[in-house]
Amino acid sequence: MHPIIRLVNRNLTISINPGFLIWQVIFPLIYIFVAGFAYTSLIQEVPFGNKDLGYPAFIASGMIGFNIMNSTLVSGIIIWNDRRHGMFEQIMSGPFTRADYILSNIITIGIVGLISAFLIALVGYPVFFESIEFSIITIPMIIFAAITGSVLFGSIASIISTRLRSSEGFNVIINTIFLFFAFVSTAFYPAEGAPEPLRTAFYINPLTYLVDIIRTGIFGNITEFVILEMTILFSVAATLFVIATKLLTKLDF
Amino acid sequence: MSCIHAEHLSKSYGNTKALDDVFLSVKSGQVFGFLGPNGAGKSTIIKLLTTLVSPSSGSLTILGIDATKNPLAIRHQVGVVLQQPSYEPTLSVEKSLEKYGMMWNIPKNERKKRVEILLRDFDLVDIRKKKNEDLSIGQRRRVQVAREFMHDMKLLFLDEPTVGLDPSARRKLLDFLKQKVKTGLTIFYTTHILSEAEYLCDEIAIIDKGKILTINSPDALKNKFGKKKTIKIHLLEKNTIISSLLSNIPDCKVSLNNGTDIVIHSERSESVLLQILKILNENSIEIEDLSAIPTSLEEIFLEMVKYDASNN
Repeated sequence: MHPIIRLVNRNLTISINPGFLIWQVIFPLIYIFVAGFAYTSLIQEVPFGNKDLGYPAFIASGMIGFNIMNSTLVSGIIIWNDRRHGMFEQIMSGPFTRADYILSNIITIGIVGLISAFLIALVGYPVFFESIEFSIITIPMIIFAAITGSVLFGSIASIISTRLRSSEGFNVIINTIFLFFAFVSTAFYPAEGAPEPLRTAFYINPLTYLVDIIRTGIFGNITEFVILEMTILFSVAATLFVIATKLLTKLDF
Repeated sequence: MSCIHAEHLSKSYGNTKALDDVFLSVKSGQVFGFLGPNGAGKSTIIKLLTTLVSPSSGSLTILGIDATKNPLAIRHQVGVVLQQPSYEPTLSVEKSLEKYGMMWNIPKNERKKRVEILLRDFDLVDIRKKKNEDLSIGQRRRVQVAREFMHDMKLLFLDEPTVGLDPSARRKLLDFLKQKVKTGLTIFYTTHILSEAEYLCDEIAIIDKGKILTINSPDALKNKFGKKKTIKIHLLEKNTIISSLLSNIPDCKVSLNNGTDIVIHSERSESVLLQILKILNENSIEIEDLSAIPTSLEEIFLEMVKYDASNN
């Protein structure tokens, strides 16, 4: 078995447990079926391309992106735990290279992100099935978004984990940043109608791009702007991945 | 055959020299002890030998492989138990062993067998289902050392492996290691517990402030540096004039405790003892007990480190 696969196996064993999976499903379920329907009295329909989406369908599709982002915290947690509990040195003194370690983390994030997207798509299906417009192009778009988004947010979590050793610091910073990403985005509400400065803030947030691409993947309506969002998302993910890799490579013992 | 060979090996961190011009040659199939006080450079040399860090200068060959050119090939053949704890908090003891075996590409059936053997050998059977985060420091240390035997290796680095172990677990581990050496394993063992080194090691290097002070077998070290012996004489009754009677004996340090105990430190302990016995006999002073204590490795170590510090 290739060293990277062995490390991915180990990463998945230590990070995916019943508690994590339940959290990954229960948390979005509450958003979709409680907040989604409760807010229907305030937001009846959200225009999307040439159709109007019900708010539960809108938030369910947003939750896929939100959940991908949340699940990639796994990457930061793996690196942070490995450093804190001595496993980083132990692995590096074994039959692995740093490249193996970094790539295994990226693959782990990708797998967790895809599982997460699939789970939410499954859970959210009853609320958005009426508006679905899958095609041969849109499904790869969802997979692209899941993997690219996973790499992007996983890289952010990895960068933070390489800079911080204390659990308090790691938790405070990661929660603050991810809270900003979650609520200053189009995951929960549309950008249209929001005050101008907030709308601008929405579009400096990669989660907005991720969610927009996923919505396009589910509900159709491929526009030039979505293609631009895909390009930006990919570029930012690649840049952050390079930075995370460099920082991980420079980690000393 | 030389298992580890280092020449002019140095490692600096900024302006600090952690290791300075080290020469080292470790033969296969032996336990090589590396002793030194805290901060002497023990962990630095372990990190160099396990290829975790690169040397600033000098050459290093492990198992015949150049450590700077092909570190991965070395890491495939060595085991490492680092000084700091390393564990996956959420895994159980048996899962930790199993997953570690998987990481080393050990086939599943073989892993299962080895897990059972190691759980038994390291007294981990009762806590096999316990999570690492719930273990005591000693239990966690035992898992950490046991885990390393999930894979095959030619050379094992142990950086203070008995830290946190109780005396019984410590002795069990040392005996386990002795057995493994008989099967051909070479062990590089750092410690600051001298009795362990004396019990386990075939050869010992003493390091201080990044420099190796000496390398030899424990017996040779004792013969070379341990000429000074300690003799204790316990008198039957308290004696007030004993101090003045013994004041003229040359080449020895006599200390008198509470008027009944005489402690002699001398390189010529036999002749000093004869002189003392003669004086005691002439003054009709009766002896209740007499014992000779050979120099321990600990005393040699302390002497060497003290000598090095005063020379510096």
